Amino acid sequence: MFDQFKNWYENRHEYAKEWKAKTGGKVMAYMCTYVPEEILYAADVLPIRVYGSHEASDLTEQHIFGMYCPFCRDCVAQVMEGRYDYADGVMISQSCLHMRQVYSSWEIHKPTEFMYYMPFPIAVESKHARPHLAAEFKIFIEAVEKWTGKKITVQDLDRGIEILNKNRELMREVYKLRLLDNPPLTGVECMHMTSSSQMVDKREHNQALEKLLKELPSRKTDRETGIRLMIVGSECDDIEFMEMVESLNSTFVADDHCTGSRAFWNSVEPEEDRLLAIAKRYLERPPCPTKDATKNFVRFHHVMEMAKEAKVEGAVIIQQKFCDPHEIDIPLLRKRFEDNGIRTYFLELDVTVPIGQFKIRIEAFLEMLRADELPF
Amino acid sequence: MAEEKKEYWRWLESRWTNPNINWRQAKIITGGVDVGSVSTQAVIMADGDLYAFANMRTGSDSPNSARNAFNWALEGTGMAETDVKYTVGTGYGRVNVPMAKKAITEIACHARGANFMYGPTVRTVLDMGGQDCKAIRIDDKGKVESFLMNDKCAAGTGRGMEVFSDLLTISINDVGKMSMEVDVEPEPVSSTCVIFAKTEATGLLRQGWAKNKVLAAYCRAMAGRVNELLQRVGVVKDFAITGGIAKNIGVVSRLENLLGLKALTPRHDTQLAGAIGAALFAKGLLEKDLKK
Repeated sequence: MFDQFKNWYENRHEYAKEWKAKTGGKVMAYMCTYVPEEILYAADVLPIRVYGSHEASDLTEQHIFGMYCPFCRDCVAQVMEGRYDYADGVMISQSCLHMRQVYSSWEIHKPTEFMYYMPFPIAVESKHARPHLAAEFKIFIEAVEKWTGKKITVQDLDRGIEILNKNRELMREVYKLRLLDNPPLTGVECMHMTSSSQMVDKREHNQALEKLLKELPSRKTDRETGIRLMIVGSECDDIEFMEMVESLNSTFVADDHCTGSRAFWNSVEPEEDRLLAIAKRYLERPPCPTKDATKNFVRFHHVMEMAKEAKVEGAVIIQQKFCDPHEIDIPLLRKRFEDNGIRTYFLELDVTVPIGQFKIRIEAFLEMLRADELPF
Repeated sequence: MAEEKKEYWRWLESRWTNPNINWRQAKIITGGVDVGSVSTQAVIMADGDLYAFANMRTGSDSPNSARNAFNWALEGTGMAETDVKYTVGTGYGRVNVPMAKKAITEIACHARGANFMYGPTVRTVLDMGGQDCKAIRIDDKGKVESFLMNDKCAAGTGRGMEVFSDLLTISINDVGKMSMEVDVEPEPVSSTCVIFAKTEATGLLRQGWAKNKVLAAYCRAMAGRVNELLQRVGVVKDFAITGGIAKNIGVVSRLENLLGLKALTPRHDTQLAGAIGAALFAKGLLEKDLKK
């Protein structure tokens, strides 16, 4: 049922190359989920998010410090390996300095015909953020129009909004099924779905989602749900890690990370000024820790609501090693979980996943959660 | 002819039978096998009391290591493998213990074993194993409340100490004691990585440092490293240490100084904690099965 999503995830570059050959369109490789994909769809450009490969590489050290996060190091390795050479454009919206370094290395060593750095407000709750961001979008649109030679109309923007909103709403429908006592999908399957949405034409993804939603509610799986877990972190498409956890009689039923729910959770609400409407969506989405700068702890509230709704029994907090924004959040976030009666376990991710070392920790964590099953 | 290289890191293997127990009179006989990265222990318990154990070096494959230790524990007892009604496997090779009906992590087993070895007052357990160390908070029954393990490097573990034993050509059994023979405590060497520490130690030897002073610097580094782990999990009295390094006075006394807390004195070989915990779980699981 999820084969199509898995196939897209595993063959993302082949997909993008075929898409280019088929449509003659341009591909924009982007970093960070604060990039307004609506505008790219309006311009008939295919946005694809830059991911790592979880393979060790010897191409990173000359570009990025060892104490920068493994994800950004992995991404730069992909670029230098030439795996994104088909990209016509590259852009980033400002979130963290580590990803900014990937963009800078890309710009210096493998510039494409369109390189774009989009400033993005950090204080997303400020009253000035929305007009600021809408103005940035306007500048961006002008740059894209110049690049593609095509004027972006209001109708184009509406089309972009519609494609994105539909994708978000369909994936939210799938997420509702994760709340069931016996969810018909695993966390790994869900990860394939959400990650692939950042890698392929969302119109095709939407078709696959519609097909999935017809079949998924009545799907009978032969596995037990076991312990209901939430996975929380930054970028975490660590399929091997998630498969290992779910092989130990547990299921990820909720997530908060930017390769999962955080990227698509809310939609653009219709408004006369399309750019203000899109800006509102990005400013009010479940924030990345780089954007959750006030003491309102918007992200924490959102995460707790998700955890409670999904009846989560334990939370696995995974962090890309050296990811400062998450590092700052984690102690308080763990306390928030524990105060709500949800035990947590913290793990640091690297480019490659040390399955054996993590397995013992996760097994012990699960044993702790189901301590009543052991005789004392 | 080249001189045969002495392996200073090699610790003594051992086995023991409790002379006060007649296993034939026991109602429940269970086993626990802890296949660690460096050592393997097999424990036989009769009605929840320690009857026999074997403590050996782990070989290149886990099933054989488990089998060898188990057979050695049974040796001379007249007990057959079939007399052991339920065995639990633990340690990094826990899923490859041929005679085990169930695998339980060494975190849970060390917690349970520490409760048995040191009594119900233990709340913080430090397991200093061959290639990892764990700080575990437990309740009065030996149930895990929280735990932390070291990261990737073997600094702060038994393997690290073995590397130093070989480097300094001092038997592993003597390194702790020798490290105490210093008038002034030296600054610790690097605790980030065993190889860094070894490189630093080599430099110190070249500068003319005595071996015991280098050992003191390494034991202090190791104590500091595990202290950090303990502080992260939170130290609550009573405190106990399991694993091979618990036998190293050089590390233990320095750690006690850092903590301002004495570690409890063990009733049994500290390397047995995991296997004892496994055998106790085996007893509970067997009783559960028998009730069905």
